[in-house]
Amino acid sequence: MPVDTRRIRGPEESQSPLLFLAPDKVPEASSRQGVRANGDVRPVFARCGLISQAKGSAYLEAGNTKIICSVYGPKETERKDETDMKTGRLVCDFRLAPFSCMKRGAWIQGSEERDLSATLLESLQPGVCLHRYPRSQIEVNVIVLENDGSILAHAVTCASMALADGGIEMYDVVLGCALRQNGNTCLVDPSYSEECGTWQEGYGENQGCVTVALLPNLNQVSGLNADGEMREDTLADAVRTCMDGCHKLYPVVHQALTRAVKRKAPPPEK
Amino acid sequence: MAAVQVSEAEKVYLMHGVRDGLRLDGRRCEDYRHMEIETDVVSNTDGSAKISLGHTDVLVGVKAEIGKPKPTVPDEGYLEFFVDCSANATPEFEGRGGEELGVELSNILYKVFNNRHSVDLRSLCICPGENCWVLYVDVLLLQCDGNLFDAISIAIKAALFNTRIPKVHISEDEEGGKEIELSDDPYDCMRLNVENVPCIVTLCKIGHRHVVDATLQEKACSVASLLISVTHKGMVTCVRKMGRGSLDPESIFEMTEAGKRVGKTLHAPLMELLQKEESLGKKRQKVGFLG
Repeated sequence: MPVDTRRIRGPEESQSPLLFLAPDKVPEASSRQGVRANGDVRPVFARCGLISQAKGSAYLEAGNTKIICSVYGPKETERKDETDMKTGRLVCDFRLAPFSCMKRGAWIQGSEERDLSATLLESLQPGVCLHRYPRSQIEVNVIVLENDGSILAHAVTCASMALADGGIEMYDVVLGCALRQNGNTCLVDPSYSEECGTWQEGYGENQGCVTVALLPNLNQVSGLNADGEMREDTLADAVRTCMDGCHKLYPVVHQALTRAVKRKAPPPEK
Repeated sequence: MAAVQVSEAEKVYLMHGVRDGLRLDGRRCEDYRHMEIETDVVSNTDGSAKISLGHTDVLVGVKAEIGKPKPTVPDEGYLEFFVDCSANATPEFEGRGGEELGVELSNILYKVFNNRHSVDLRSLCICPGENCWVLYVDVLLLQCDGNLFDAISIAIKAALFNTRIPKVHISEDEEGGKEIELSDDPYDCMRLNVENVPCIVTLCKIGHRHVVDATLQEKACSVASLLISVTHKGMVTCVRKMGRGSLDPESIFEMTEAGKRVGKTLHAPLMELLQKEESLGKKRQKVGFLG
């Protein structure tokens, strides 16, 4: 609905009230209010096959982070000019719902979302047997309903579950885990406030965020994304911690996928 | 990306060479190609630099403009990046062809350079909450022969070193209105501290080894590469896995270590070179684009 600007006599420029909130402090060592230890991931709820039209789909919830992913295809590729037709193409679309963050976002994909799409694609690609789908493309659509931190990591897990649910041939599932390094403490699977935290005044040393995507059975890292300023040994430790975090997720994903398969093809009754 | 055709036999030859520590152009695995840097090449910019790394040619121009600081950080200025993939580099970039690569490159440049660890963003502040300097960093790719990231990052560092921002004075009238006055003396300038500006090192995994500064042929043989940005102190500011392959955890640790080592050794000669070039002043022989 168009708004009559003459009737509402607000100031010409306005700013979000969220700017004036005191930024949350990143909890110091072992002070996640006793809910979980610094090395713990949040409990994850994962289900497959909730979108009936899609070939495969998955829903994942970790704390307040909620993500839906759907997979369409394989279908004929749209881009005919692609020279390499021997392998299939994976297309990723990562979107944050406008209401997912504290501040309302736009429906149009911003540069941050495009960047996340590219990273998601690079993390998923090594896990999918694309050579089995020549001349075709597989579409992966991810939408974040609620952003409470570590969205990229959970999106990777969710998308690989949806791919597996859609019967796309894969070498392995891809699991994601994020970490927030704050000085000498590291918080695994950070929530939104932990992720930003004192980042605003983060002039300290060893500050940064790391996201790792792992193929657990092949023990291969398919995605690595680190920002901030860290020493090299801290980074190596952070990557190792993230890999442990991924392994912790594996049973949950495994269970959700088995459950989906059992429902689709019920075991014969004796 | 500009594509080269590499046959299977060539690939095998190249990969076997890398396995034994030999590369097609006679370099070792952690060597850069011949590099040429020239600053102050475009007169209409506040700072500019041109780098040629092998056959990769990049031109960077920095322009400073007065803008409004971001409401979340009222006492800091910021940098804007734009990468233009010129159709001169390869015909694929014609029209909107280079857009995808351009966006990818500029996104990474934001991550690497636009933070307070790399550039002292506070020095770009003119009047907190009201005015700040915005540095528009425009990158033009003139020729592509692999390893764009490293070349661009070095060129940006050189261009930022060369950047001179005019000094401004804020005067206040009786009603409390503020006015920005520009200094009359064109040499009355502010310089940026570029000491902490990182350089990007891209390591390409070829077979079981990794190489620095890969050419296009070498890149065609590699399925995954790791991009690491390193400051002069050896701090790692950004790591990205690029490409469609995956990496062994052990090789990631090896590659970050190598990246740190290579990146660290890149800074000192670069700064020395830039300072030496500047000390020549007017006596400096300009090379330009045909050098």
